[in-house]
Amino acid sequence: MSFESAIIKKIKFTFVNLGRILSIQSKLKVFFILVFTIGLIAGMWLIFYSGFRYLDTISGFGSIIINKLFTFFFLGMGLMLIFSSIITSYSTLFRSEEIPFLIVRPISYNQITLYKFFESTLLSSWAFVFIILPYMGAFAAYNKMSVFFAFWTMLFSIPFLIVCSGIGSFLIIIFVRISQKVKNAFSFSLIFLCLILVVYLYFSPSVYVDEELEVFNISRVLPGLNLAANPILPSFWTSEGIMALTNGQVFRGFMFLFLLVLTATGTLFIISDLGGVLFYSTWLAVVEGRQNSQRKPLLFKKLETILFFLPHDIKAMVKKDIRIFFRDPVQWSQVLIFFGLIGLYFVNLRNFNYHEIDAMWRNLIAFLNVFCLSMVLSSLGSRFIYPQLSLEGQGFWVIGLSPTTMKRIILTKFFSSLFAMIFISVLLILISSFMLNVSIYVQAITIFLIGSVSIAVCGLSTGLGAIFIDLKQRNPAAIVSGFGGTLNLILSLCFMVVSIVPVGLILHLETTYKITGQTANNLLILTGLWVVVVVLCSSILPLTMGIRSLNKKKGF
Amino acid sequence: MIEINHLSKSYGADASKPNSYKDSSVKKADALKNLTLTIPKGELFCFLGPNGAGKTTTIKILTGLLQASSGSVLINGKDPSKDHITSKRIIGYIPDMPYLYERLTTTEFFEFTGELYDIDRDAINQRLEDSFSLFGLQEYKNVLVKDLSHGLRQRLIYASTFLHDPQILFIDEPLIGLDPYTIRLIKDLLKKKAENGMTIFLTTHILALAEDIAHRIGIILRGELVELGTLPELYEKHGKNNLEDIFLSLTGN
Repeated sequence: MSFESAIIKKIKFTFVNLGRILSIQSKLKVFFILVFTIGLIAGMWLIFYSGFRYLDTISGFGSIIINKLFTFFFLGMGLMLIFSSIITSYSTLFRSEEIPFLIVRPISYNQITLYKFFESTLLSSWAFVFIILPYMGAFAAYNKMSVFFAFWTMLFSIPFLIVCSGIGSFLIIIFVRISQKVKNAFSFSLIFLCLILVVYLYFSPSVYVDEELEVFNISRVLPGLNLAANPILPSFWTSEGIMALTNGQVFRGFMFLFLLVLTATGTLFIISDLGGVLFYSTWLAVVEGRQNSQRKPLLFKKLETILFFLPHDIKAMVKKDIRIFFRDPVQWSQVLIFFGLIGLYFVNLRNFNYHEIDAMWRNLIAFLNVFCLSMVLSSLGSRFIYPQLSLEGQGFWVIGLSPTTMKRIILTKFFSSLFAMIFISVLLILISSFMLNVSIYVQAITIFLIGSVSIAVCGLSTGLGAIFIDLKQRNPAAIVSGFGGTLNLILSLCFMVVSIVPVGLILHLETTYKITGQTANNLLILTGLWVVVVVLCSSILPLTMGIRSLNKKKGF
Repeated sequence: MIEINHLSKSYGADASKPNSYKDSSVKKADALKNLTLTIPKGELFCFLGPNGAGKTTTIKILTGLLQASSGSVLINGKDPSKDHITSKRIIGYIPDMPYLYERLTTTEFFEFTGELYDIDRDAINQRLEDSFSLFGLQEYKNVLVKDLSHGLRQRLIYASTFLHDPQILFIDEPLIGLDPYTIRLIKDLLKKKAENGMTIFLTTHILALAEDIAHRIGIILRGELVELGTLPELYEKHGKNNLEDIFLSLTGN
């Protein structure tokens, strides 16, 4: 009996038992989850479908954009999968409590690495089903494609997923390996960011080929369209292959499939070999790093002075969270990479000459930037804020038994994460506005929106983190990918849709003279009130429910 | 047989560089200092020491969960770092806080462990009956691990660890959370296994356990082996007739 078959059986049993556990859950709860999931997919499908119909109304090149977007979609998905894989691979490879169990067994390190790679691939990708399914469904429905389109999509998705996840795992293994070797992790992270910058500059698309053609306005808005068509990218092979096979171009389609399968196989070999060579010693170094008790206080000495105005219990909790955050390179490096990349993009906006294009497009880009940053905030909220109460773990009793209230604990978590989030996000939006040279009016609206998203994301993530607290789980990836974590991400994304989209729509209608300035102002005031109400509901409600839930659970 | 030669461990040294602990520029915390020890086949060796003395560090190095800064280990005459898979086939390890797959039943967990050691199905089934009956797990065969009490989890760990008949067994704090019945069961079992040739290396804070079952006792303090011998030898050397007095006098408490 091989390790592989033992693992497959274990996974099978785990799923069967999960079914058993679910079957004894409240039927209402299961029904609610099902309805919510179907509703979400249907809603997303409708948004994508409406988007395609809208694009088709742009005379002349609407259908070109739709087809280009198909390629662009896979590029975007690929990049998101790589990021997601980087985050989950670290947890599954280097922080999982299963690793010591496996290491003392007669299993090769290649096998352990491959097994954990597949686990992290699953953990990092399953939530994307909620985007892929409605997008592909809407695309197929809009283009009236045959049922084979779904089949080819599924067939191509598997090797594509392996390649993207493999890149993420490869990067994190190398990153952790090198970061264990260098003394100054912060300097190393900066070097890592510089490397990303070099790669970015290498791939950064050139715009402005012909000023006369209207289509180049689209090229300016979505410069990634050119990048997506780069034939060396697996995302290009995937989209081209699916389209080729769907359109009956068998040879071309299978050529891309073969190329993708070959790359995926190569990726598996590389991950396996990398595991054999580097995994064990890197894992040991990570474990040892955690066990090394010699820590310098660094800037923490000054925290006492900086936080002088806080009551003692709140100050203690804030200080603890700041220390833990900065002592865990995984946490701050991920935040640095996420915000660093987005900041890099904003700073580069003028290189695309975006500040010189029509106000309509500049406003659109400003709102796309808010949307993009909001997506990052939602991801970070789910990744860091949601699991922070669960990650208190068995040490939660220290706070739980101290003379403070659950309300103060939760509100401290909420306000401290809000302070950090709002500071960074407003700063980034100010950079975006400056680079785009948008009006003060649009600036104020974008700041209002990003502030609202920050409050809602922090409220939702803290509140739901308290409701679905799991003090036994030590793996952040598993906490995040659980039901509560997924619900949190979905609700955060829903909030974005209901708050940012209406404002963007009103400004768009105004700049295209479909409504008057007065009507736009009135609608904006109404939408502003609507956003305030939604923000209050998205923050106060989950926080209250979280406090109530933790009070009920007292004693764990 | 376990042979430990001049084993040292300094946290803060580079785990991938065996002698980096000698680098004075690296700030280190010594967890183990020049430990040399041989535990022959069939011996039940108890490793005692106060908290943070280096017991768990030693056991983790011996099982491959930590890398020594210097020194070497031989398991049945072979260097486990050269062929770790072969070495791991003959060792068993019961940590103080064992990891279990929460969403497997006890039977599934037992079978999974057996399959990792490439034991055939019939043998696994046979041993499942024997072990579950021995450890009182019969009525929990279809219970999920997550629903087991701490004591039952420990029993399951013991049952699955003995499944592949390890020649060398490492146990970190063997009696944590066990009821008196299971404690007796474990003690008798360990004695019997040692009589049958199993080499057992266990760490404990329970001095009575060492007095009861150990063939030889080692006492470690701040990473250094400060005493080693059989119980009568220790009594004679220190002129005392209980281990607690010897332990307290050596560890300075």
